[in-house]
Amino acid sequence: MKKFLTVLLASFMLLTACSNNTNTANEGGGNTAAPEAGKKQEITVWAWDKVFNIGAMERAKTVYAEKNADLTVNLVENAQADIIQKLNAGLNSGTTKSLPNIVLIEDYRAQSFLQAYPDAFFALDEYINASDFADYKVGPTSYDGKQYGVPFDSGVAGLYVRTDYLQEAGYSVDDLQDITWDQYIEIAKAIKEKTGKDMLTQDPNDLGLIRMMIQSAGSWYLKEDGTTPNLADNAALADALETYKRLMDAGVVKVVSDWSQFVGAFNSGEVASVPTGNWITASIKAEAEQSGKWAIVPFPTLPNTPSSVHASNLGGSSWYVLNVDGKEAAGEFLKETFGSNADFYQTLVTDIGAIGTLKAAASGEAYSAADEFFGGQKTISDFAAWTEQIPNVNYGMHTYAIEDILVVEVQNYMNGTDLQTVLSNAQTQAETQIR
Amino acid sequence: MSNIKKVGMYVFLSVCAFISIFPFLWMLTSSTNVSADVTKGRILPGSHLFENIRNLFETVDISNALLNSAKVSISTTLLSLLIASLAGFGFEIYRSKARDAVFSILLLSMMIPFAAIMIPLFQMFGKISNVVPFVGIDTLSGVVLPTVVTAFLIFFFRQNAKMFPKDLLEAGRIDGLTEIGLFFKVFMPTMKTTYAAAGIITFMSSWNNYLWPLIVLQSPENQTVPLLISTLGSAYSPDYGMIMTAIVISTIPTALVFFFMQKHFVAGMTGSVK
Amino acid sequence: MSTAKKGMSIERKSNLTGWLFVSLAVIMIFVFYFYPMFQALLLSFKSGTGMNLQFTGIDNYKRLFSDITFITALKNTFIYLIIQVPIMIILALFISVLLNNSQLKLKGFFRTAIFLPAVTSLVAYSVIFKYLFATDGLVNKLLMNIHLIQTPIAWITDPFWAKVTIIIAITWRWTGYNMIFYLSSLQNIDNSIYEAARIDGASATRQFFGITIPLLKPIILFTSITSTIGTLQLFDEVVNITKGGPGNSTLSISQYIYNLSFKYSSDFGYAATVSYSIVVIIIILAFLQFKLAGDDK
Repeated sequence: MKKFLTVLLASFMLLTACSNNTNTANEGGGNTAAPEAGKKQEITVWAWDKVFNIGAMERAKTVYAEKNADLTVNLVENAQADIIQKLNAGLNSGTTKSLPNIVLIEDYRAQSFLQAYPDAFFALDEYINASDFADYKVGPTSYDGKQYGVPFDSGVAGLYVRTDYLQEAGYSVDDLQDITWDQYIEIAKAIKEKTGKDMLTQDPNDLGLIRMMIQSAGSWYLKEDGTTPNLADNAALADALETYKRLMDAGVVKVVSDWSQFVGAFNSGEVASVPTGNWITASIKAEAEQSGKWAIVPFPTLPNTPSSVHASNLGGSSWYVLNVDGKEAAGEFLKETFGSNADFYQTLVTDIGAIGTLKAAASGEAYSAADEFFGGQKTISDFAAWTEQIPNVNYGMHTYAIEDILVVEVQNYMNGTDLQTVLSNAQTQAETQIR
Repeated sequence: MSNIKKVGMYVFLSVCAFISIFPFLWMLTSSTNVSADVTKGRILPGSHLFENIRNLFETVDISNALLNSAKVSISTTLLSLLIASLAGFGFEIYRSKARDAVFSILLLSMMIPFAAIMIPLFQMFGKISNVVPFVGIDTLSGVVLPTVVTAFLIFFFRQNAKMFPKDLLEAGRIDGLTEIGLFFKVFMPTMKTTYAAAGIITFMSSWNNYLWPLIVLQSPENQTVPLLISTLGSAYSPDYGMIMTAIVISTIPTALVFFFMQKHFVAGMTGSVK
Repeated sequence: MSTAKKGMSIERKSNLTGWLFVSLAVIMIFVFYFYPMFQALLLSFKSGTGMNLQFTGIDNYKRLFSDITFITALKNTFIYLIIQVPIMIILALFISVLLNNSQLKLKGFFRTAIFLPAVTSLVAYSVIFKYLFATDGLVNKLLMNIHLIQTPIAWITDPFWAKVTIIIAITWRWTGYNMIFYLSSLQNIDNSIYEAARIDGASATRQFFGITIPLLKPIILFTSITSTIGTLQLFDEVVNITKGGPGNSTLSISQYIYNLSFKYSSDFGYAATVSYSIVVIIIILAFLQFKLAGDDK
């Protein structure tokens, strides 16, 4: 009996000892410390990825500290999916205790949050100027005429290619400048024949390639209004799917099912190209042995869609301020760093390889540096130039929901169902699901 | 037992053992490799263990997370075992129609996916936070509280109590023990293997618990190990060698708990309580 | 007369004691489970996004019937249930009986080895499974080497085989877990019962079916119900190994609920409705299992 009473007591003590870590100072949004002039204020920022996003924020902190030493910025790192769950839980909880001041949200998802939780976000029109940023970023970050997000990284896409495999197959990098996807497929077949290497990887559950293709033509899964599904009568989407099928049928694709397999494929030299966003650069450079064997060429265009340009986007996120205590301080902080500071963006490029979307930053020094890994190519300035050409689309609220529907239908299409049926099925399903 | 049967048995068990261990072994060797090798699926061990460990400790505060996880898991396990076994005992030994009905209702609570009650639970804790901050949002106690009692564990103890020889209780009563004394002095010692199994299971599920700690905890100082590992994996260029090292470190406590508790499954409980 | 009084107070005392033992647990479950469940039930009658939920009556429930994704998820989950749970229970029973044999050497090793999957981190083993079962992975290489198959099987990217992979993953992970339950209960069976049976000439199989199974019935029922619930709420394996794919061919109901809540447009109302559909199914299945076991003497 005594033994067990001690056990019970011990566990209660343990529990109360746990409460040492309760919310004493770090309450982020719930911080009610009155922001008197000169008094210390605290804000909390949520983001994922230590090197890239958190790294950018750390440098922003340093830059801002020179202007205003009274602001303490707490950085909290969480996985992206986790941030989405926590944000949803916090916004539904009826208390602001669990909310940050600034949060990073992926552009594809932003509209969902802005529309699902009106009044939860703080409009930043007095802190930043939308026209200072690349056009294609403005759509996703604004809502109802107001600007809510500070555009951050550019997901501008490029086609990374192995120059040595190209050479073996009898091609040069110039042969890949400004090509269409059909030309890409031809080159892929040649490479497969001469070197035995696949041209790229694809994950059947991830239609990123299709998203890039249709954005290059100024089209999206949804119409301009951001809520009507645009699948059945979408010529660009049809073109993209047909191209995708030709690509998959050409026997040049290595099928993967996991991010680590995707990275492993190009790290181990199993594929000759990677069409994706520029944030993959760090992963590509991780395999130091491959230095000098890569180049980056413009994104190919859709063969039968005249509006398709050699520029597209995959991913990319922006910073949002929540409508909780500390919002003005957060707004000021963002204004002086990501919002306008072109020098700051140079640091981002040189230190972490993050390409921003502030137009003024593109003329800075770091942007014109040459990268040995890519054979001396001025990769950043290339990406910056392509960024300006990315067509603006409204990602709307239902990108991921529609993509999940499309993933199923694309499987059917690959297995022989005709395109029109597939697209109209997808359209019907999307319309029922989206209310 | 015939020799063929014996050999067959060993072969079968060995195959099962190998299939069970193999992924774990791969996990161990991966923690000694560089990230790029891990993504290529390399099976042989490398020489980067210390580097991975060093990177891990420099990148995240894993020792703090381990401490948090330990606090949560140990208190959850101790409290759970106590409360659930008391209830299981109560439901089975003092059977009544009313209690049986209540028991059936309790089972309902196992049937709803946690994702469905997550948000309402969180809202409840939001309100609790305003009144009693030290068990509210962003506290380790807040993590423990809803997970302490589960119908699962009560169900487990009750089913095992059905196999408990009731005459031992009568003997105890004759010896002058109170009802609660019967529980602590007769039931608990006899059911050691049940407590061992329940202890392992509860510790494991508490240690690996993900969704609830995710939304309740806010500050980095309060992070538990699964949350930490999830953060590591969400980078654009994850360091897989380092992640595997973190995973191995996080698996060690549960493996140890199992290792120490499993002796209680050894045959030798025959005719125990005299 | 005084005896009658004494009898009543003993009964009342017993009843009171019974309630005392269970009260703390009951209260906690009501507070932390039933109150949120009730909230979720209310939510299931609303629809919308995030904070903009409007009351829509039984629209959500009607929607379930025409929701292709939900029906696919339901089919998948049932396939997992019907195939995986029996296989796992029988396997776990078989292994634990083997390991309960006092003459067996290396018991500790086998026990630890087979339980290890339950301890192995989810993240780790899902990455490993993906590598092992990739089209150019070890499993295919092995199968081709021993000439069981001619062309590699697309374990993860084929709708049929992906389900098989999930079933293998679940079985791999949870067999050892259930084995623990059986082992701990087997220890509570007195050896003398087996001795007596052996003296009477009963074979090992006869002992298994005649003694072990009936005595273990409460635990078998326990694992059967908890495995049913676990499989119906399957989330981890599906999300991490196949992500519900290819297409929706391995999508589970819990994954769909998660998608509805967090991945799509945060329609918590409809998500709650789908959750309650699982509750109803589980209730029916659990009830059937209890009845089948002829529980409660």
